[in-house]
Amino acid sequence: MPGVKKPLVHNRSVKTLATAAEAARHQREWFAGLRRRVAEGEPLAVVNADVPHEIFRAMDIPYVVSQWWASVVAAKQRSGHYLELLRRRGLPDHSEQYNAVTLGSAFDPDPDAGPWGGLPKPSIVVGDASGDVTRKIFDIWGREPGVAFYPLESAAENEVPANWWELVPHRWEEAIGPARLDLLTAELENLVRFLETTTGRRFRESRFREVMALVNEQEEWNRRTRDLIARARPAPVSVADGIPGVMLPQWHRGTEWARDAARRFHEEVRERVDTGQAACPGERARLMWIGRGLWYDMGFYQRFQEEHGAVFVWSMYLAIAADGYIRHGDDPMRALAARFAAFTDQLYTPPWSSEWYVKEARLHGIDGVVHLVSDDPRGGYFTARALESAGFPVIEIEADNVDTRTYDGDRVAERVGRWLEDVVLTRAAPAAGRGPR
Amino acid sequence: MAALEDAYARPPAGPSIGYVGADVPVELLTAAGLHALRLTGDPGAGSAQGDRYLGRGVDPMARSILSRLLSGAFGDLDRVVVSHDCEASLRLFYALRELRRVEPGSGVPEAYLVDVLHLPHRTTARYVRRRIGEFADRLAAWTGRPLDVAGAVAAHDERRRLLAGVAELRRAVPARLTGRQFLAAAGAALPVAEHVAALRALLAEAGRLPEHRGRRVFLSGSDHDSPHVYEAIEADGHVIVGEDHSFGDPLAERLVGAPDLDAIAEHYHEYGPTAHRATAAERAAHAAMAARRCRAELFVAYARAADDAPAWDFAAQRAALDIPAVLLDRQEYGRADVAALRKEDPCPA
Repeated sequence: MPGVKKPLVHNRSVKTLATAAEAARHQREWFAGLRRRVAEGEPLAVVNADVPHEIFRAMDIPYVVSQWWASVVAAKQRSGHYLELLRRRGLPDHSEQYNAVTLGSAFDPDPDAGPWGGLPKPSIVVGDASGDVTRKIFDIWGREPGVAFYPLESAAENEVPANWWELVPHRWEEAIGPARLDLLTAELENLVRFLETTTGRRFRESRFREVMALVNEQEEWNRRTRDLIARARPAPVSVADGIPGVMLPQWHRGTEWARDAARRFHEEVRERVDTGQAACPGERARLMWIGRGLWYDMGFYQRFQEEHGAVFVWSMYLAIAADGYIRHGDDPMRALAARFAAFTDQLYTPPWSSEWYVKEARLHGIDGVVHLVSDDPRGGYFTARALESAGFPVIEIEADNVDTRTYDGDRVAERVGRWLEDVVLTRAAPAAGRGPR
Repeated sequence: MAALEDAYARPPAGPSIGYVGADVPVELLTAAGLHALRLTGDPGAGSAQGDRYLGRGVDPMARSILSRLLSGAFGDLDRVVVSHDCEASLRLFYALRELRRVEPGSGVPEAYLVDVLHLPHRTTARYVRRRIGEFADRLAAWTGRPLDVAGAVAAHDERRRLLAGVAELRRAVPARLTGRQFLAAAGAALPVAEHVAALRALLAEAGRLPEHRGRRVFLSGSDHDSPHVYEAIEADGHVIVGEDHSFGDPLAERLVGAPDLDAIAEHYHEYGPTAHRATAAERAAHAAMAARRCRAELFVAYARAADDAPAWDFAAQRAALDIPAVLLDRQEYGRADVAALRKEDPCPA
């Protein structure tokens, strides 16, 4: 019921993969180490997920991704607290919560009481000017004492080829267009100078090339894992394992650890496929989750396995790692710009988003699509339309993925359960003998 | 004033091209010889079609414009030019582009995006210049004739000069125009030459205009593409003497100057500071200057539901002001909670 805050009782998922557990353990160790480095005087950057982290990696500048921190806050059921801190400053608590929650943590009078010991104070914040308020949020943060803000533009294009996933690994110039690439490349060159000046660290081209190569290797492993899960029957893992298995290494892109974690993730999935292990024994339906992760209720993704035999086999996190990051080319800065100049379009702008979701649904043999529609301008009509036109049933659920205040998990689950029984399971074939469509 | 009011209330028929957003370089539309109309929504009409395609998370102004395009309310437009002045405009462009692709029977015109951006950096300035050049080339290709940029810049700058004079009439104490009247004077849907003539006529009768007394309000925040909110606030005993949205004072505030594409690109790159593209600090500095300039007694920040940007500016704006300030947050399209304005000091600085 809107406006009613209910306790969440199913919020934790049960992970089965050793690599997912290992990634979670590494993340805690990394964060503790980051807190130590910052306490000893090193700079800290808080950056948006769509910002090219590779530059920070190449310069060995510690950084935290705003959305990752928001996901930790949400998982600890603390987003309401940080949104309240914004409200007390006269700032809205109902707008772009994914970034706002992280800004709220900057205003915590007792920061060490935050999740995992709290987010240390950054000296640099970097965000793109997408939407109407992201730049405002980061700019407000940048006006805190000792914090500098570097904004990046968010540009758009008139005409784009729909089959971006086929073009971007090598023919990214054709997919994205020179105007956006020239702009972001110039902004990134300037970002390097800004970071050299503010941190005193050096940017070495040879190190940058190493980082870029490691990212391509990591995402190549993710591509193989995605293809493996797409074709395997029954599904070897659900997104409850898949999301941490891919995303925690993703936040460490450009390191050998992250590349090797992606490889180990692939090997573990491969082993489960080879030995016939199922995420959901008795699988009856394969589900696709479209939208950001429901961080405060990750148990949602396993909620329909036992009763309905329905398993979430797809989220954007592994799939976009597989299709959205790999960029080859002789000019590493322009290739990096090509990774991010149209990143949002890949997920949220038709025809790129809608055609890609259909391609992925077909590849994975999806029986039904659960589409999270947040109260933001991205909308979902064309995504749902494309999927339904291609024969995939879609149910839309309305919720914010970090703000629990209006989420009623039981009610949402009841709706999805009814839809599974009434629509999806009446169409889905038994798992045995089913192949990719 | 009657001619301007009439053209504002009933746009003349026959435009061949529509445009959406504050960042469309109208000089180039005029330079191409096109009869252009800035598309507006209608809070009094339904927006079910727009809601369906854009989702309810998008500013209802854009949803209403899309609904009206789908219902043919703007006649037979050949094309719609859309700017990236806010997320809602961009989403509207994407919806139009995709509707043409997957539902060609919907009948929406071809859409073209002019991607003017606003970070105050040389990298963005170069990008904007490139996009302005591309748009000029596209217009020449559409019409098959060269653009008269010099003539168009001169005509639009003359309109800005005259509109600045009209803005002074409203800023006078007591005001000689209401906010509602200024909206009509600025937004009259007339070809630029006729608009210039009508503004001159209005200025010629300045001495005969009545005085408007009432609590002087500066209106900040969301765009107002219809007079509904102005009428509601002014009916409650206020007079809106200034605003910072793209249908009001900003239309008069800076000339293009030189008759070339470089000057047009600089003009639109530097346009603002708008709620959707500027920082809260930039907006606060502008609010303090603009409220002082029009001797406002009350600052009203208006944020329409699903138009979140103005609410992020309000804390900084309030801190920068020396007059009472109130935030009308999450307002329904075309409506205003005027009861909040009647409180003695709704939100003291």
